[in-house]
Amino acid sequence: MTASLTISLKRVNKIYHEGEIIAGVVIVDTAADLRHEGLTLTMEGSVNLQISSKNAGIFDAFSNNIRPINLINTSIELAAAGKMPIGVTEIPFEMPLVGRQSSMSLGLLETYHGVFVNVMYTLKCSMKRSFLNKPLNASCQFFVQYKQQERPPSKPVRCEVSPATLRAGGGAGAARGTVPHFQLYAEIDSTVCALDRPITGKIRVDECSVAIKSIELQLVRVETCGSAEGYSKDEFELNIAVIFEDDYLVTENFPILLLRSK
Amino acid sequence: MPTYYKWCSVKKEKQKHEYPSLEVTNHPLRVEVHNLKHNSNKSLLKSLQKWSSSFEELDPLLRFEQMDLENNSEPTIESDATVNYSKIWSVKRTAILNKYTTGEKLTIISSYLPGGEKISSFSALLRQVSNLNEKVKHRLEQLDDFDESSVRKTMGLSQQEFVTKIHMLDDEIKKAWETEQRVKAFKIAIQCSKLLSDISVMQFYPSKFVLISDVLDNFGKLVYDRLKKKSFGDAAIELEDIDSGLVPESARETCQNWMFKMASIRELLPRLYMEMSLLKCYVFISKDEIKPAIARLITMIRGIGNPLVAIYIRVYLCKVASALYGKESECYFHDNLKEFLEEYQQIFQPAMAKKFGAQLLTADKYLSLYIPAIDWLLYGTLNTIPCKLTLLDELLQLCDKTENSELLLYCIVSGFDSPNIIKKSSAILDTIKKSAEHMVLLSPILSALGEHLCHADVYRQLSSEALSQTWWKIVSNMKSTANFLQVLEPWIQFACTQLSAQHINMLLRGTIRYMIKCGKPIDDYSSQIQLVVKRMLKSIPDVEELFLMDAFMPLVELVQTSNARTMMAKTVLLVFFERCNSVQIEDHIIIASLMRLCCILHEAINAVTVEDELKISSDLINKYIQTVSYQDDAREQLNFYVECRSAFIKLDSVLKTLVHAVHALANRARPSRSRWLSRACAAYSFVTVPSLQCALCRAQLYLLGAHAALLVACVGQAEANLKAFVSLIPDIPLYVQEDGQNKPTHVKVVGLLSNFLSTLLILPDNVDSSSKAYILSGFIKTMERIHWRKTDPLYYTLLLRTLDLLCNLTQEKYIYHIDGVISNDELYGSEEEFIDVLENYATNICQELLVVLKALGDAKETNKQYNLALELFWRIIKRGDLREGSMTSLAINLWVLSQKLQDSNNKFAKTLLSALERDTSEEGRLLFDKLNET
Repeated sequence: MTASLTISLKRVNKIYHEGEIIAGVVIVDTAADLRHEGLTLTMEGSVNLQISSKNAGIFDAFSNNIRPINLINTSIELAAAGKMPIGVTEIPFEMPLVGRQSSMSLGLLETYHGVFVNVMYTLKCSMKRSFLNKPLNASCQFFVQYKQQERPPSKPVRCEVSPATLRAGGGAGAARGTVPHFQLYAEIDSTVCALDRPITGKIRVDECSVAIKSIELQLVRVETCGSAEGYSKDEFELNIAVIFEDDYLVTENFPILLLRSK
Repeated sequence: MPTYYKWCSVKKEKQKHEYPSLEVTNHPLRVEVHNLKHNSNKSLLKSLQKWSSSFEELDPLLRFEQMDLENNSEPTIESDATVNYSKIWSVKRTAILNKYTTGEKLTIISSYLPGGEKISSFSALLRQVSNLNEKVKHRLEQLDDFDESSVRKTMGLSQQEFVTKIHMLDDEIKKAWETEQRVKAFKIAIQCSKLLSDISVMQFYPSKFVLISDVLDNFGKLVYDRLKKKSFGDAAIELEDIDSGLVPESARETCQNWMFKMASIRELLPRLYMEMSLLKCYVFISKDEIKPAIARLITMIRGIGNPLVAIYIRVYLCKVASALYGKESECYFHDNLKEFLEEYQQIFQPAMAKKFGAQLLTADKYLSLYIPAIDWLLYGTLNTIPCKLTLLDELLQLCDKTENSELLLYCIVSGFDSPNIIKKSSAILDTIKKSAEHMVLLSPILSALGEHLCHADVYRQLSSEALSQTWWKIVSNMKSTANFLQVLEPWIQFACTQLSAQHINMLLRGTIRYMIKCGKPIDDYSSQIQLVVKRMLKSIPDVEELFLMDAFMPLVELVQTSNARTMMAKTVLLVFFERCNSVQIEDHIIIASLMRLCCILHEAINAVTVEDELKISSDLINKYIQTVSYQDDAREQLNFYVECRSAFIKLDSVLKTLVHAVHALANRARPSRSRWLSRACAAYSFVTVPSLQCALCRAQLYLLGAHAALLVACVGQAEANLKAFVSLIPDIPLYVQEDGQNKPTHVKVVGLLSNFLSTLLILPDNVDSSSKAYILSGFIKTMERIHWRKTDPLYYTLLLRTLDLLCNLTQEKYIYHIDGVISNDELYGSEEEFIDVLENYATNICQELLVVLKALGDAKETNKQYNLALELFWRIIKRGDLREGSMTSLAINLWVLSQKLQDSNNKFAKTLLSALERDTSEEGRLLFDKLNET
């Protein structure tokens, strides 16, 4: 006697904005008549934080697992206890995506999968069954994004890079003396970016004492966790792109196009 | 067994021959011109066309050409509105593939091709970046994941193998796509585009680019088609009609996914190429994104340092853009061109020079790699710009200012249209002059400029002279002779159309001086000189003028080896006769020059010369002989022919022409001249003919000579000719070579001999000789000597014809005469002895014919036998004297024989019988009755 339970959302990309209604169907596929004690659908959203072992002690990292922060948790009953007919049954549902109104949060956060920080939203469907049978469960993740807003007037951010501005750290610090002289000028069109839009900007090489083999650009993600001991900060590379390759110095504006990988 | 029949010819009383005549309005030999618009003729014409249509069938090559023309004519109609870029691209594409080839070994790196050695690890690509967390590293590896173990490097590929491999990759993409392995297809496409960063065999790069861009196009199309299908099903919807708002969520999501995938490619070149190939797909996200994307790509290409790689990726971008937007895309061409000009000096970086030097490329070869790309950019740009002249001005100023401007200059000169270039030609020349010494592309630039100038309207003015002087100053300092001649070719055309003969002559002298001074064997450049000469001959308004320049012939004879000289002479003569429209050449200088050239042609002929060659040479010389005219000075003309004979003795067909020409001369001069000319001409031909190879030709010419001699009443000469003719008869071959095939001489011989026999009727007998009808008897003896097959139609036809002649010879007055020649009828006055001789011959021939009849019967050639019997029968009743018993009985026997073979209903027999019926003479009636009895 097999039965399966799946959740299928109407929206293919599963991206929703706050205030929208999540619509979809729960599909029950059973080979025989199925008796059950009720079908419920739960929507959950939470922030999980973890303190990195780098910044805090190992022990802290172990013990100080911060409890998840609940962003949303609603539940509805899709079907009262009864019987499912043989074959495929589709039960449509609709749920409003509204955050818990509490003083602590500013509403719903965007979905984010990081290393130490995770913001996750799931739909869970469970079918309670009679005493001897295990309940059937199905879950489905969906994504929350901020609404498409008017793009803020782009405020280009400028910066200059030269051997002096290199951060002492990594391998570069030790070999400071060997770094040849160079002068870079860079511009990022805007520091406030939509998730699905590219980051754009340009780089100009003003001076360089040696031939340039290539210029690479990295998009680095910074995760900061606040806790009782203070803040922990971590950086991760996301996207590396070569924007200039294999040649000899010419002063030029190199446009940047970076996309955040999901 | 036939019995002996004595032949007696009937003497006709009739003085005058009454030939049937009817009045006609048209000359029978005139070419019919049908008036197509005539209505009443329509049905007739239609039927005529129906019949002729099968002959109008084109030969396959011509048909291809016409198809090509039809195809070509289509786009011209379109191009009124917009330029069809894809079509033009495909033309350029083929040109690139043909031009940029290599014999070097090529290398291909791919994980999807069999064979090749493994590359141990791809980790070289993954630079060790500090802070690289394991998980992230894994992700990065996935981006560049090519199934590491399977990446293979195939080295030492020949060009053809390389092309095959690329096609294999293309197929691989399609296969992967069809089997739902889309990511694999994507990876192969990335690998393909990566191949374009390899410039190890530079001279193949343009071709490689073309090949790979095709692969990328195909990949882009696959993605686009799938997305389209996902959005709109199978509906045929054009790119312009796609409304981004109507694209379903899922298709948009897929498309977005492709774009993210593309953007995650780490390396710049593949990322750019992939974005370009997927450019079309932006339409599923938002139509408005495409144009900014193109603009962004144009600037992103700045990141590619290698100028060669960079310009070709610009070409690809323009190509993709033009496929998307057509006319609207032209601004991108211009933008790209501007970007290219910004980075122009990159091309001449010492590092690049080191690279192409290492590949053993010369500087001009290296620069020529850029030409198709710049051409393409310039082409699109020119279509946008409303005022080309201003752009030209700008570009020329830029050329003036920048160093190494030659590449740009060349592209400008070849890219712009003639009128504008001509307007600026002096400025361009000045620019060239400034840096002429350093230019490696000097000769292509100059020759392109020259080609433009050739299109200039005909105007003689100072500027052309000034131009050519400046040009000459530059050119005369050129080091490479080959380049010099290359440049000379279009410029000499320009000079020929624009400048005076004096100027051209000066240029020619200069050329000769240059060639001599350069100190290299001139023969190495013979083909180029030939081209120059050809160009000159073709373009000068009056061809004859060229020969009057004192430097022309020396230039033509500059080459020394016999082979080159012959080629040159042939070219000059060919073009000369093509262009020369006057029927006659009278100028002595030209005649002498042409004679010289003809002699060169003739000298080159030897035992191993092929037949076609001989034919061409003799055709040319014949043409020469026919066109030379000394007007009324016949003596000079004859001298000329004598000279020609001694000069062109090796060519039969030329001798033939000479003989004909001499006869024509004799004929032309006849009424006014004294006899000496005619005699001289007759003697000329009589002396010339024996040197011919072919017996048939000789026979023909002898006969012609005899005719000509008779016309001027040189009986002795005529007799000599005919005698020679008779003695030739046994030598006439059964077959002659014609167009490489053996053709039987049969028909020709019958015609020739019939002609000969009719000539004999006029020819007076040689009174000195002992025998009567001297030539004829010689002929009959010859006939006997030749062992012809009795059943050969040739043989008995000739016998019948001879019989005809004999009958006619017995007449009191012959049916035709030539004024001034006393024929045998007057000479003998039907003397008994003469008639007897003739009758005797006739009897013998009749006897022979009967033998033939029997032989035909034996050989079961019933049809022939029947015809011959009737023919003979006809001659008896028409020419024989039916009063003689033997004649009548022979006639009856023949009739009976024919009746036995076939019944009398045969048309031929019926006609004969009805003719006999109409015969009013008593004997005829008698014979008719007898025939009816049998």
